[in-house]
Amino acid sequence: MKSRALGIILLAVVILASGGYYLYSSQSRVTVLDGYLGGEKIGLFEDEEAAEILRREYHLEFQYSRAGSLDMVTADQTGMDYLFPSSQTALAYYEDEKGQPVQDEIIFNTPIVLYTHQLVLDALMREGIVEEEEGAYYADMVKLTDLIMADTSWADLGVPELYGKVSVDTTDPAKSNSGNMFAALLANVLNGGETVDETTVENVIPKLQEIFARLGYMETSSSDLFNQFLRMGVGAKPMIAGYESQLLEFAVENPEDYEQMKDDLVMIYPSPTVWSTHVYIALDEAGRAGAEALLDRDIQKLAWEKHGFRTSTYGAASQSFEGIIEEMAPEVTRVMQVPDYPVMRRIIDSL
Amino acid sequence: MPKYLKICLLSVCLMLTVGLLSACGSSEAEESSGTWQTFRTRGAHETIRILSGSENQELASILEQCASETKVDIEIEYKGSLDIMRELQQGAEDYDAVWPASSLWISMGDTGYLVKHAESVSMTPVVFGIRDSLAEELGFKGRDVSVNEILEAIRSGRMSFCMTSATQSNSGASAYIGFLYALMGKQDSMTEEDLDNEELKQEITELLSGIERSSGSSDWLKDMFLNGDYDAMVNYECLMISANQQLEAEGKETLYAVYPYDGLSIADSPFGYVDHGDSGKEEAFLKVQEYLLSDEAQNAIQRTGRRTGYEGVKEENLDVFRSDWGIDTERILSPIVMPSSEVLLKALNLYQTEFKKPSLNVYCLDFSGSMIGEGNRQLVEAMQQILDQDYARQNLLQANQGEVNVVITFSDEINNIYVVNDSTDENLLELYETVASEDCTGGTDIYDAALTGLQMIEEDYDASQYTPAIILMTDGRSNGGMEYSDFAEAYQDYGSDIPVFSIMFGDAREDQLEELANLTNARVFDGREDLIGAFRSVKGYN
Repeated sequence: MKSRALGIILLAVVILASGGYYLYSSQSRVTVLDGYLGGEKIGLFEDEEAAEILRREYHLEFQYSRAGSLDMVTADQTGMDYLFPSSQTALAYYEDEKGQPVQDEIIFNTPIVLYTHQLVLDALMREGIVEEEEGAYYADMVKLTDLIMADTSWADLGVPELYGKVSVDTTDPAKSNSGNMFAALLANVLNGGETVDETTVENVIPKLQEIFARLGYMETSSSDLFNQFLRMGVGAKPMIAGYESQLLEFAVENPEDYEQMKDDLVMIYPSPTVWSTHVYIALDEAGRAGAEALLDRDIQKLAWEKHGFRTSTYGAASQSFEGIIEEMAPEVTRVMQVPDYPVMRRIIDSL
Repeated sequence: MPKYLKICLLSVCLMLTVGLLSACGSSEAEESSGTWQTFRTRGAHETIRILSGSENQELASILEQCASETKVDIEIEYKGSLDIMRELQQGAEDYDAVWPASSLWISMGDTGYLVKHAESVSMTPVVFGIRDSLAEELGFKGRDVSVNEILEAIRSGRMSFCMTSATQSNSGASAYIGFLYALMGKQDSMTEEDLDNEELKQEITELLSGIERSSGSSDWLKDMFLNGDYDAMVNYECLMISANQQLEAEGKETLYAVYPYDGLSIADSPFGYVDHGDSGKEEAFLKVQEYLLSDEAQNAIQRTGRRTGYEGVKEENLDVFRSDWGIDTERILSPIVMPSSEVLLKALNLYQTEFKKPSLNVYCLDFSGSMIGEGNRQLVEAMQQILDQDYARQNLLQANQGEVNVVITFSDEINNIYVVNDSTDENLLELYETVASEDCTGGTDIYDAALTGLQMIEEDYDASQYTPAIILMTDGRSNGGMEYSDFAEAYQDYGSDIPVFSIMFGDAREDQLEELANLTNARVFDGREDLIGAFRSVKGYN
């Protein structure tokens, strides 16, 4: 009896020890990658399901510091393995400042959209600036830009409840990507609907400066701007520019809140709009593994279904958001080219 | 994983859970000083240190509950939002989290990309709380009021008001920027050129001259307001609600909230983690944040007069947001456009140096024998921070136009009196050098020094043209010829409202200093831990 008891205890010890070793060794194989991340992708990086796939399949763990897409290029990169900005412009900026990165890879895309409230949508539709097509809303960017340039007040549009002039709040175009992309879009619109190039950019800069100078203090992160839009109400942020993915992610993560807010919240596609391309930049050899992991089929699927980023394989609205977000466009087709890097550089420097 | 192992692990987990449950005790709040609070709970494994705006002091019971639910000890230090911005710029080494009044200050302060997970905990607009009968008389009740109408009431002398220092506190900064916009008649962002306009300078200076008292922080402004007899204060809606609750309980006249439609701002109270690479702290922070954003805590926070959630104030909490106090939860709040950081900093600099009422500072400095050595060294260093303008500028504490600085050095008698009526950089530096070279000797008489300062302000100057303050710095107990009653009698004879702030260190008698603070509606600051910080806090009051 005694020896049997001893045996059981011994067995237990062995099992615990080997189990402990198993846990220890599987954890110790995880490589931690440090880097700068655009705020709009934090949801994905904090997603436990995604973290589990990365750990299990790739033995990777992403640590991040949040920074604006352009800001991160010039920030201190000591000890950093990757940058994950939201545009090709940031990549070109990196190449211009630091040379060829170890690796760069497009991970997913999301279009720039406008977010506003029902009150504002009604006014914009009355003015013929926004139109509905198959449930999705499209803003005529030429008309909207004219309205802004003409110093129109909200009261002029029949919305006396709102104080001030018609404007679209964005993040700081010199620091953060969504603001930067919106500036690119406005530049194209001001250029008569043609993508701005080095010969035409100077003509539009004074008007761009005028539009952005009015905005005053601009947030440096797209996620902060979107959160303020959601929380502070129509008076504080009547209309903002952001990423399509932001509303999709919010609706999935906060279904009850979204249910209560969706009658008031409105997503509008600028017509035309621009794509924000989320590029992963590896800064060192360790960072390379991150690109492959992020392109994993399951990660890409999660990125779309829970965080709203359109990928090459996923990204038709019917695949998951139908019935959740009614005003979502199945496909985004009215898109303009973002100006080339030297032109964007000129725009950034002027704002 | 082998099946046996799973079972073993499960039982270990169970044991841990039981252990944790049995460790659940009540949490307790300890208050170490006016600017610190600590919430401890039994069984806590982690402590987070939060640097917070003073308006969150009212959330103490919720934080206590939070510590107990999350098993995370919370240490929280209260400062003005602009001080939080400056702390962040310097890396915020001593803190795991920041909680200023507005996300603007995190954006401007987080130059090292340290802040993560920042989420708004609640919202509250900055309002004018005006004595109910005066609001009625001015015709401000039940309609839209513009900043210019309020300015008119101030200009005509029908209303004076208190607000926090625009260079230390978010509510003061927001209100001040709101005033500027209203005076400019602008709806989109102001520019640096706008600030150079001579007419504007004159008007804002005139307006700020209506400020009766100032303070470094919003919660302290509310306390000061409640202890004094003033017409109005510019403060957060939530603090006005809390002031009204107290006023009503004391049977006093309550305040009526006015939301100037062309100069309104909203504080969004972001709570963010400061990343120093400690994952244990990060986890603890997230637990605390999750608790604060839980339905239960959000409702409790709403009961304190703060707006929470996406859907506005709940019906059941409308008894807190009382419409007879002017509180309006239905109106669309359209805040002003905050200027870009360069313009904002320029505006704040101008506030400090040109626009606000000139300060009239009377420093009563203890040069008794007990100060020899460390005491004197710290005192001199603190004076350098204020008088040497190269240092003062870094903290937006530089002398303003027309400022007067008086230094009275004392022991059991008055040693010397130095008066600088023309506060140029050179004159103040010379004053500092003179003070620095003085020797310590003799006993202590704080009342003699304070009374001498009071007589100078009341008799040599027109106090209404200044923001006056006596700043008493001592490490001793008064044992000289004069007593508290001598000072109190003179103070009442003058009908004075000059605050006597004290900074104590060494074994100063707090009760003696508190007595002076109570009489004069001022505060006592503890300089034993951070003398320079205490001096800076005092400066926020004038």
